[in-house]
Amino acid sequence: MAVLDATNRERIARVFMRLTSGPLPCIKGDVRAAVNAADDWVDANSSAFNLALPVAFRNAANATQKTLLLCYVAMRRAGILKAEED
Amino acid sequence: MATVKLFMQPEEAQYLATLFPQYVKNNGTSFPVSGLAYDAATKETAFWKFKAANYGSGNLTLTIRWYADTASSGDIIWGAQIGAITPDTDSQDVETKSLATASTVTDTHLGTTGQRVHSAAITISNLDSIAADDEVYLAVYRDSAAGGDTMTGDGILVEMELSYSDT
Repeated sequence: MAVLDATNRERIARVFMRLTSGPLPCIKGDVRAAVNAADDWVDANSSAFNLALPVAFRNAANATQKTLLLCYVAMRRAGILKAEED
Repeated sequence: MATVKLFMQPEEAQYLATLFPQYVKNNGTSFPVSGLAYDAATKETAFWKFKAANYGSGNLTLTIRWYADTASSGDIIWGAQIGAITPDTDSQDVETKSLATASTVTDTHLGTTGQRVHSAAITISNLDSIAADDEVYLAVYRDSAAGGDTMTGDGILVEMELSYSDT
């Protein structure tokens, strides 16, 4: 999968600015550059992430499920994903 | 000669059906802080109306007090434009009245504390032939889609003062 186009990257930046909370001491251009970098990183490392998954899950899960898995792990590590058991 | 000052609150604002700032009330440590939250990416507009009581001549000065929701740096562009109607004289349909060309000001976040209150003054020089006691409609927007508006996050308008000379 190729990197996102400019429109999609800009929309991510907008969503990020709308949903982020707490101080963000940088300007719009910095946010957009970070989106670009994150998308580039995902594009460069998506194959490696897929190969890092256990074979059983890798073969069973679809792309959306794998994406959510990565997002959930990252969110939990950042303390922003709560489970019903918490 | 004196300066007439009108004060306008977020609670008094009116909006069109779309593209308007969200009214927010943030519960501060000691008191609630209300305002209009203007988006960082989409141009949003709020409207006020007032009677140009004792208007004499000259430009209007609109002073906007605002603070940043999350940012602590960058520039924000505020814009304002008016439409003036002289009752009993102008035959213009009020519901189809257009606004004069906008005037803008670019204000820079002063840093140190993200949610500090800033003050930015717009000189409204496109006056739409305003006259004393006119019915005036005022549009205030954040020109967030402009390249010069670099501040991230919402810009929250907390209060405005409109001033003009009575002579």
